[in-house]
Amino acid sequence: MGTINSAFALIAQVLDAEQSGLNVVANNVANANTTGYTREIPNWQQNSSIEINGVSIGQGVSETGATSVRDRVLEERLNQQQQLASASGSRLTALDTLQAVFTPDSGTSTGAAGDIGSDITKFFSSFASLEANPTDNALRQQVLSTATTLAGDVSNAAQAANQQRAAVDQEASGVSSQVNALTSSIAQLNQQIQSASPTGDAGTLEDQRQQDLSQLSQLVGINQITTENNGLTVTTTSGQLLVSEGTSVQMTTGSVGGVTDFFLGATDVTAQLAQGGGELGGLLTARDTDIPTATAALDQLAYSVSTQVNKLNNAGTDQAGDNGNAGDIFSQPAAVAGSAASMSVAMTDPNHIAAAGLGKGTGDNSNAVAMANLGNQAIVSGQSPTDYYSSFVTTLGSTVSNAQTENTAQSASVSQLQSQNDALSAVNLNDEASSMTTLERSYQAASQVFTMLNTMMAASLNLGEQATVA
Amino acid sequence: MRVDPYYVTNLVSSLDLTQASEQQLTAELSSGVRINSLSQDPVASGENVLLLNQIQRDDSFTESSSLVQGQLQVADSALGSVVSQLTQAISLATSANNGTLNASDLKSISNQIAGIRDEVTALANTSYQGQYIFAGGQTSTAPFSTSSATSPAVTTYNGDNGVNYLETPNGQSIQLNVPGNQIFQGAGANGVFTALNNLVADYAGGVHTGQAVTDAESLNSSLNFVSQQRVVVDNSLTRLTAASDAITGEQTQLITSQTDLMQADLPTISTQLSLAETQQTALEDVISQLGSTSQSLFSKLQG
Repeated sequence: MGTINSAFALIAQVLDAEQSGLNVVANNVANANTTGYTREIPNWQQNSSIEINGVSIGQGVSETGATSVRDRVLEERLNQQQQLASASGSRLTALDTLQAVFTPDSGTSTGAAGDIGSDITKFFSSFASLEANPTDNALRQQVLSTATTLAGDVSNAAQAANQQRAAVDQEASGVSSQVNALTSSIAQLNQQIQSASPTGDAGTLEDQRQQDLSQLSQLVGINQITTENNGLTVTTTSGQLLVSEGTSVQMTTGSVGGVTDFFLGATDVTAQLAQGGGELGGLLTARDTDIPTATAALDQLAYSVSTQVNKLNNAGTDQAGDNGNAGDIFSQPAAVAGSAASMSVAMTDPNHIAAAGLGKGTGDNSNAVAMANLGNQAIVSGQSPTDYYSSFVTTLGSTVSNAQTENTAQSASVSQLQSQNDALSAVNLNDEASSMTTLERSYQAASQVFTMLNTMMAASLNLGEQATVA
Repeated sequence: MRVDPYYVTNLVSSLDLTQASEQQLTAELSSGVRINSLSQDPVASGENVLLLNQIQRDDSFTESSSLVQGQLQVADSALGSVVSQLTQAISLATSANNGTLNASDLKSISNQIAGIRDEVTALANTSYQGQYIFAGGQTSTAPFSTSSATSPAVTTYNGDNGVNYLETPNGQSIQLNVPGNQIFQGAGANGVFTALNNLVADYAGGVHTGQAVTDAESLNSSLNFVSQQRVVVDNSLTRLTAASDAITGEQTQLITSQTDLMQADLPTISTQLSLAETQQTALEDVISQLGSTSQSLFSKLQG
């Protein structure tokens, strides 16, 4: 049978429990704006009742600590989507910078500056003008000046692309140290979590680990495998070990072929990382695929135009009477690779432009006609220079536009998942206010019960007599 | 159901998007260009390169064409003068051949025809912008020179057979010159200068000869040949004018297409901009409303 004394003990315990619950609420409110904080709820446990003389008597309630409200699947899903979004994001930034080199010519005179497409046309048109008067010095000068503009713009564009590649490379190599900091932190947290709470949720420690994982997955593509005792193994998406429970593998960098390669242990994982996602994946894709593709296209253009124009210039007769040895207009590139960046005009004397056919008088224009026609012939990979540049522009534009679309979709999906996750795990102040009110009311009720018990106790002590105990 | 407590943050990111789109639209409005980067419309960017290429080629042809028209007009008027000079020579020869003139008159006619020969030589050596236009490809040296060391005098051609063509952007070739030997030495072995030189020699002795009649006839046929060659020049001029007109027309069309392709459609953009502005205002209102009134339940709690 319960006694007033036992009721006293029980209600005192309730007051403790309610305070402990209020403490959880206070902690939630305090951390409402803490990044990575997961809302906690107090755990209430009914104390096991005791049986005295066949009567079961309740023993009140205990607050047994707080539990973080998280959905591991949702968190991992969010991390995966963040990998994709930050990969396409960093690739898009690199591509945006790249495409700025090839701003479309609006057709106005100011818009034409630096446009390789216009330069190509103007260069070949200058030969068409030379047809009208092949001995005219001004028209010859015009050929050299358009050639200089073309060579200058092509080499500027190629150099800009190369510089951008170097910048992206540098940015990528900086990522590795951030990765290392995060993986060591995760390894450390793994140890703490394994020793502190091998069976249950580790609360704040778990929050920190999740926060680190979220940051890590924005940097590189990762897979996570939960191991025994709440530990965690983290690998790259292609399976190389980053963190194994309490130990982390440092990512090192080294220069290979002029660019930074990434190593885990002794393995070069650059190619796998490029596929894997995360900021590093996006940067490596831009560095190793997108920018080299653009540079290679420019190289092909520069090489073919230089070679074909030089060949024709050496197959005619120039103003000075050189037959078949008038010299090169462009510096002859040795190989396709790198020819765009080094494109330049070798000729200084406009009289060496071979406008006349081989062995013909200097007033002849048949070679100028042939050179002007080069502009319409399939001399660059089976296309005319203009067509080639046009498809290059379209291809580059489509690549950027695809990356944009991809990034928009992925970011939308990230924010959707983020919303879902926040709905579950973030601190909602209204909820906290209502639980606080509930706890406050329970606390008040418990205090009231305490007061009543106190009165009853006094009554029983005085046994109905007017006495000093109140 | 639980909701995402950070919905105001999401609204702010919508506001960012709206502002980005306003920025883009404003850039289009201020530059008047629809496409500021390749990715906005990759296909149109590629198309633009091709259109500009054609426009610029047309432009360059129109310039060349006006340059060349000058040269052809000079050639035409030179040949016109040659024809009138030769007509005069023929009438002189005809009057000399009717048998009524005395020896001194014949000598004077010989001198006059020699004068005409020199005049025709000068016309055949016509230059345009420093280049001899009847010299074939050897435009830097005067194509015709007369040596009076022998009788009859000999006029030689120092040029070659070179013919220049101007290619139109559509690929037709228009002949730009007729080599001097074809015009002045084209009618058999005789040609204009041989006939003139012979006539000068025929009348120089002051006696009538049968040879003079034959030479006058051959001058007449040379004249006809020169006239025929002048037609070649006139044809080129006509073709050039026609081609130039056609190209100018084409260029206008192309510029229209290019403008359609690249230029910003101002009414559409203004409408989009105003929509974006409305959206921005709405979003800002919502955010400020939520910011001021959506205090949590805590504000309603009594202490």
